Amino acid sequence: MKIAIRIALAAVVALAAFWLWGVLFPNPEHVIRKRLTEAAQAASFAPGAGYISKLAGAQRFADFFATNAEASIDAGGQEQHHLSGREEIFQTALNARVAMNNLTVSFPEVSIAIGPDKESATADLTAEAKTSGASDMFIEEMKFTFRKFGRDWLITRVETVQTLQRGGQ
Amino acid sequence: MGRRPKTTLVRALVLAAICIVLFKFILLPVRVSGVSMAPTYRDHSVNFINALSYLRNEPQRGDVVGIRLTPGGFGSTPRVMYLKRIVGLPGKTVSFSDGHVIINGKSLDEPYEKAACNWNIPPDVLGPTQYYVVGDNRTMPAINHSFGKVERSRIVGKVVL
Repeated sequence: MKIAIRIALAAVVALAAFWLWGVLFPNPEHVIRKRLTEAAQAASFAPGAGYISKLAGAQRFADFFATNAEASIDAGGQEQHHLSGREEIFQTALNARVAMNNLTVSFPEVSIAIGPDKESATADLTAEAKTSGASDMFIEEMKFTFRKFGRDWLITRVETVQTLQRGGQ
Repeated sequence: MGRRPKTTLVRALVLAAICIVLFKFILLPVRVSGVSMAPTYRDHSVNFINALSYLRNEPQRGDVVGIRLTPGGFGSTPRVMYLKRIVGLPGKTVSFSDGHVIINGKSLDEPYEKAACNWNIPPDVLGPTQYYVVGDNRTMPAINHSFGKVERSRIVGKVVL
């Protein structure tokens, strides 16, 4: 009986140590997946929010980006957008919140590759965005580039990827 | 549970396992979103992609296929796919002239193409692993329609129904 108790205790200690190791030294891929989920939530907004709430929401979204982050969005049928710097990303997020009634963003498929230096990473993902009143959901393949600043993984580049390419692309 | 609950339980577990394997890795259920494949496949209709359809054969012209957006490793199941028809095979030159698909200079017969189209797209030469895909509904301007070259590795399988 004593042996069984000792084995059970050893298993509990091992599990606790494993959990603690994960908390202290989190797997970068898990951290980035979590950051992406949080970024999608921050990019989404519900109808009826006041201006202060929109301002805070746009700021929360911009906080996922590095100060010198760049975004190059080339969605089919839309005007191409280039954003440079966290401030411009914040302004664009705020303008979107003012112009649109609501937006739901999600990343249903994410494939992450951590760089050999362990300080950078890329995430190839499928982005889905839906706003009420729009007949079709926006679906686009995207590539996010991350860099580690201190303990935080921040987005340094966002770009759309043309899954179906036409001549000259 | 019947008179032999153990047997019933085993049967239920086997059935559940078969369903999981079947619908997660072989027949992938898809719900069509959008009108790019209308009228062949209507918005919100449900279908299946046969992920084993190209194990022994390569995709053929006219096949309607599921195309993954995010590159995935072997065995990974895509949750979001484009549904498009293959019109150009590897090595061919594809263009559009007044809405007609032109393959290596010859107009392609497309009985599934019901509505008029006026697209004019310059010739595009496909690489050895590339296919040219397009939706059946080409009534919108070309800029609003997702179509073009796709790598073979992105083609998940053929639509079943």
